[in-house]
Amino acid sequence: MRRPFHMLAMLLASLTVLAATGRFAPVAAHEGHDHGAASSPPAAAAPRTETHSDLFEVVAILAPDGRLRIHLDRFPTAEPVPGATIALTVDGDPADVAADGSYSHVARHPALTQAGRRNLLFTVTAGAEMDLLPATLELPAPAAAGVATPAAPEWRAVARNPLAWTAGLLLLLLGAAIGRVTAPRQLPPQAVSNPLPGAGDIVRSLRPDRAAARTTALAALLLLPVLAQAQPIDAPRRQPDGSVFVPKPTQHLLGLRAVAAERSEAAVSLQLVGQVIADPNASGRVQSAEASRIEAPEDGFPVIGQQVARGQRLAYAVPVIAAQDRAGVRASIADIEAQIVITEARLRRLTAIASTVAAREISDARAELEGLRQRRAANLPAVVGREPILAPASGVISVVRVAAGQVVDAREPLFDIVDPARLWVEAIAFDPAAVTEIAGATAVTASGQALRLAFVGRGLALRQQALPLQFRLEEVPAGLVVGQPVTVSVQTPRRLAGIVLPAEAVVRSAEGPPIVFEMPGAERFVPRPVRVQPLDGRRVLVTAGLEPGMRVVTEAAGLVSQVR
Amino acid sequence: MTETTMPTRRLILAALPLIPGRALAHLPSGSRGPNGGQVQDIGSYHAELVLRGNDILVFVFDHNDRPVPVAGATAQAVLLANGRQATVPLTPKEGNLLQGTGDLAEARGIRAVVTLTLPGQRTTQARFTPLDPA
Repeated sequence: MRRPFHMLAMLLASLTVLAATGRFAPVAAHEGHDHGAASSPPAAAAPRTETHSDLFEVVAILAPDGRLRIHLDRFPTAEPVPGATIALTVDGDPADVAADGSYSHVARHPALTQAGRRNLLFTVTAGAEMDLLPATLELPAPAAAGVATPAAPEWRAVARNPLAWTAGLLLLLLGAAIGRVTAPRQLPPQAVSNPLPGAGDIVRSLRPDRAAARTTALAALLLLPVLAQAQPIDAPRRQPDGSVFVPKPTQHLLGLRAVAAERSEAAVSLQLVGQVIADPNASGRVQSAEASRIEAPEDGFPVIGQQVARGQRLAYAVPVIAAQDRAGVRASIADIEAQIVITEARLRRLTAIASTVAAREISDARAELEGLRQRRAANLPAVVGREPILAPASGVISVVRVAAGQVVDAREPLFDIVDPARLWVEAIAFDPAAVTEIAGATAVTASGQALRLAFVGRGLALRQQALPLQFRLEEVPAGLVVGQPVTVSVQTPRRLAGIVLPAEAVVRSAEGPPIVFEMPGAERFVPRPVRVQPLDGRRVLVTAGLEPGMRVVTEAAGLVSQVR
Repeated sequence: MTETTMPTRRLILAALPLIPGRALAHLPSGSRGPNGGQVQDIGSYHAELVLRGNDILVFVFDHNDRPVPVAGATAQAVLLANGRQATVPLTPKEGNLLQGTGDLAEARGIRAVVTLTLPGQRTTQARFTPLDPA
């Protein structure tokens, strides 16, 4: 009993599925390509056409004055082509083309001012490269009709709405009432001397003014659509389908560039936290060996940033001795001096009677005297002498912690010397197994400066649960300082397939996931959510979300994403 | 359950002929046509450009690659090669063939734009790079 219904329902369902999958439209839409342009600029944009070959991309925009502005770029990089010449035929008839600025051209042709479909043929010559580019330009009907068409449905809907009419009428009445109430009234004449002619004059003189204002307002209302047509709204904007329309002139202002996505392979990299350190073989730290008072050398203390050579005198250290110790040293010096006097006297006596004493005795006394003098010399600096502090390495003074007269303890650091041409980077890896094989490394500073690194070594002991890795900077850019935090990318031998893009191509969408902008047309940009893996400081690997052959924005993607 | 499986199967079999499938294989842009030339879309049609000596031959097909008679059509080809540009009128011959003669044929890196007006239809254009590999 239920069977016929059942079958009917199933037939309907299968037909719906067929229709939905598009299998029922075999003639109009065959796979592979379509005969119409899928992307269209916003309805309010000026009439425009775009075409491209494997060399050039041409965007032609019809200005309100009937001139065709031609923008020529390279394909697929979207780089403007300066100094090119363009010839244009409109429906087979050559147009008058003149260069306007460095990479834009302006064409005039009578057919461009009439509505209809125009077949354009651009002949582009840029140096040795020549190309033919056909295009079709759809020209809308003249001004008034052009504006009325998109606006008409809304207006008609409003006009048919009785509620709108009623509300309008009520507002009008309200306005009239308020006007009536607030209008300045003529005071009753106090003296009845010739009242009528004067009042009549005032009324009559007001009338032409009001009439003129009314005419102006009416004219402005009538002119509004015409003005709107005269200045087409050719601004970047987000389309209802989520894509972004950016006119070619704006692209040139933003410096937008694109690239054709190519599948390739890249080494997988790891991101580590690191910081710039000084090369231990090319830097030095000056410390005081004992508690002492610092004195400036003859030419003053070295200052920060000063270049010093190894062995250069940086300061003097005067040892600080406690009173008791000093007394002891003084006592022993006095003792030594007394012994020196005695020994000197003995030596003099012995030399006077040299013929009767053994030569051994004289030389013994001489040696004793020499030894006493050396003992005195060794003890003397402890109370009166000062010790020069020398630079242990050549480089630039980067830290100064001394002032004249300052008393420092033993082992207190006084100066740091760094060789600016030899800096290292130390990174810490929390997963020691992940960095067992290092194929290469790069680093990026917080400001985006990329640094090339050479692997130096890896420790075999964890330091605060992390493994320290050291890298040598292959070339040190100016402005890099010790202690600066950097992000180190370590390339592992593992390779991954994907599309390599510059890091600027990937921007973060408002929703969160990273996106890149595909460029399916010359002025249309479609956000594509992607999965990215950082490669080094400058490049990323897109492993999902992009197909090879897509045209992807590499520069100014961040600006495109800000278009609302 | 068993009651419903039978009609389902029958219905699926009955609906199969409705699915057009891949029977309408057509030539995508840039591929080689039946005469060995490059095929491009021209309006809602396909055109195949063949350069043979100094002869420029254009064959017109519909999007199912059936020949379209070109009697009464007007057409021309703009050829660009070796830094020179030439416009060659194409005259309708038998069947779907339009023919013209130009001295630029077979030149290296040649680019051509064919403009075609079939009787009672809009003028359409197509760009060819006849010597590019398919």
